[in-house]
Amino acid sequence: MGKKEVTSSMKARKFAANTAVHVILAVMAVIWIFPIFWVILTSFRAEKGSYVSSFFPKGYTVGNYVKLFTDTTILNFPKMFMNTLVIAIITCVVSTFFVLSVAYVMSRLRFKMRKPYLNIAMILGLFPAFMSMVAVYYILKSLGLSEGAMIRVALVLVYSGGAGLGFTIAKGFFDTIPKALDEAAYIDGCTRFQVFYKITIPLSKPIIVYTVLTSFMGPWVDFIFAKVICRANADYYTVAIGLWRMLEKEYIDNWYTCFAAGAVVVSIPIAILFIFMQRYYTEGLSGAVKG
Amino acid sequence: MKKLPALLMAGILALSMTACGGSQAPADNQGSADTKGAEGETTAAAEEEEITCDMLVWSPAEDQSEEFGNWLQTQCEAFAAEHPNWHITFSYGICPEGESAKLVTQDVDAAADVFMMTNDQLTDLLPANAVARIGGETEKYVQETNSQAMVDSLTVDGALYGVPFTSNTWFMYYDKSVFTEEDIKSLDKMLEKDVVSFPITNSWYLSSFYVGNGCTFFGDGTDNDAGIDFSGEKATAVTDYLVDLVANENFKVDVDGSGIAGIRDGSIKAMFSGSWDYQAVKDALGENFGAAQLPCYTLDGKEVQMYSFAGTKALAVSSKTEYPQVAVALAKYLGGVEAQKSHYETRNIIPCNTELLSDPSMDSDLLVKAQNDTVANTSIIQPFVAGMANYWTPTDNFGKSLRNGEVTHDNAADATEAWNKNMNTSVVE
Repeated sequence: MGKKEVTSSMKARKFAANTAVHVILAVMAVIWIFPIFWVILTSFRAEKGSYVSSFFPKGYTVGNYVKLFTDTTILNFPKMFMNTLVIAIITCVVSTFFVLSVAYVMSRLRFKMRKPYLNIAMILGLFPAFMSMVAVYYILKSLGLSEGAMIRVALVLVYSGGAGLGFTIAKGFFDTIPKALDEAAYIDGCTRFQVFYKITIPLSKPIIVYTVLTSFMGPWVDFIFAKVICRANADYYTVAIGLWRMLEKEYIDNWYTCFAAGAVVVSIPIAILFIFMQRYYTEGLSGAVKG
Repeated sequence: MKKLPALLMAGILALSMTACGGSQAPADNQGSADTKGAEGETTAAAEEEEITCDMLVWSPAEDQSEEFGNWLQTQCEAFAAEHPNWHITFSYGICPEGESAKLVTQDVDAAADVFMMTNDQLTDLLPANAVARIGGETEKYVQETNSQAMVDSLTVDGALYGVPFTSNTWFMYYDKSVFTEEDIKSLDKMLEKDVVSFPITNSWYLSSFYVGNGCTFFGDGTDNDAGIDFSGEKATAVTDYLVDLVANENFKVDVDGSGIAGIRDGSIKAMFSGSWDYQAVKDALGENFGAAQLPCYTLDGKEVQMYSFAGTKALAVSSKTEYPQVAVALAKYLGGVEAQKSHYETRNIIPCNTELLSDPSMDSDLLVKAQNDTVANTSIIQPFVAGMANYWTPTDNFGKSLRNGEVTHDNAADATEAWNKNMNTSVVE
């Protein structure tokens, strides 16, 4: 009798605790999802303007998306979107290569400048990147990259050029891969580069996914460099500038719901890439070294 | 082997530096010569020398959009046709008037030859030596075809820096079915009848109440040392009025677009805004659309006029342009009668040319009448002396305290005094 009472009271207590935890989690999840949910709702809102008196729209439409992609005479969103996509893909490839290479070198090779380089990289990393934006603009201008189609090249350079400094996380990951693997490969006759792409890279999928995602997102979320480098050349605007334009006083009333639609659209390529890459997150070191 | 990258690096650096020096040095020399040239007179088209040149023109996107009839391209081609000896290759960039100071000063050498600006941008453009003085025949033309206020708004120390093409201010939109011609002369009468919305938290609007009661900006608006005078009884009385205004249940603060939303759903019957909201208000009110100059308000039994800030939008010429005579002529053309007329027809940009304004067809357009009445009767030129930079943020904050009820009748005097002090203190110092 007594024993049964104890278990049932324990069960009740556990149930209460679990319920409390889940309620708290649910509330936090709702708070966290709220802004995103609101942007999506707004992107389908039929009423015009930036101000609404109710949370849920009074009417729904896909017109905002249609307008975003068809009304291109003033704010050419499809073009901005393609600009950004191209820049993001190239940036993603280039800077992922930079980051992984530098991280590998810092993790595996020993040379005189290694320590100073690590220090320099850390100190440079302390400065916000936009401090250099005017200098960067003038350097690009002197190289003839500030006009016309070269602006795209300039933006790729800006987003990927400094990637080599952001190696710390990847280096930390490489440090955890046992050196014994490398040594085994060397004995089998591998060169350093072969060790890099045949041994290290296949074992580092999670960190590659992380690097690819962050470098792909860079061009989508950067506003300040795109603004400084594109200046008045509307043909080369990225989505960040376009979305910002939509909120100016001349446009906000007409474009506010399209702005929300644009924000949703921007998240699509990033989401696709993430879903595609996600499965590699869990794969990692399993059974690489025995004994 | 190790030296190779180092050498390469040094090579690239040296190259970029020479490239930098090479492109900048001649540009600097031209700058001084050009400014002088810009003051020179334009000669008659027939005897113009042969010039082949590139002209970069910056304007807002609408001016170049097909939707609004490619205004800029059409005008530039018409200009080229008028000058057969000039072989001009036009290129265009996007730069809204309000942003020119940022875009032009970022790189004066690479800025457009002709760009559009709002007159208050001169505060930043002049120290950067980015705009050319307009002289000679064009200066005379501007003075003869514009009201004195328009010319003054672009004149600094006796020198003219742009060709105005429209005025820039805000006024009142209202529902004609609710308010009569008599009502709209007094804000308090309007409030008795129905709901009025005003952007009290926006510093561009808030000053209008104070200026009417004798508060001043920089003496006559140009004397930086005089400062902003929002002190004493004259300002406190207005603050007291505003405390009551915010408490009035027929008054709504217009913030984040709530005014235009209220006009649309009928909960607000009058709001204060500018020509950029015209289409939206017109669509919402239809037949009942009304627009007028600013009303008076009743302060301790006497009528006090509200005064908005007015400015101009103008064509400016870069100080670094290679062919100043062409650039100045183009600016004059784009700000001329024909161009203004076409601007009005394509984009509803209200002209400021006095000749065009005297045309009877203009008077029947409510929007044009409202804006021009406002500029003529119920506005002051928005000062563009350096000290004006300190005005905006403290005033936004004061407006917010008013809305939030933090300013009351009890502390009105102190709050106004503190605000006045903030406006006259530079945050940088």
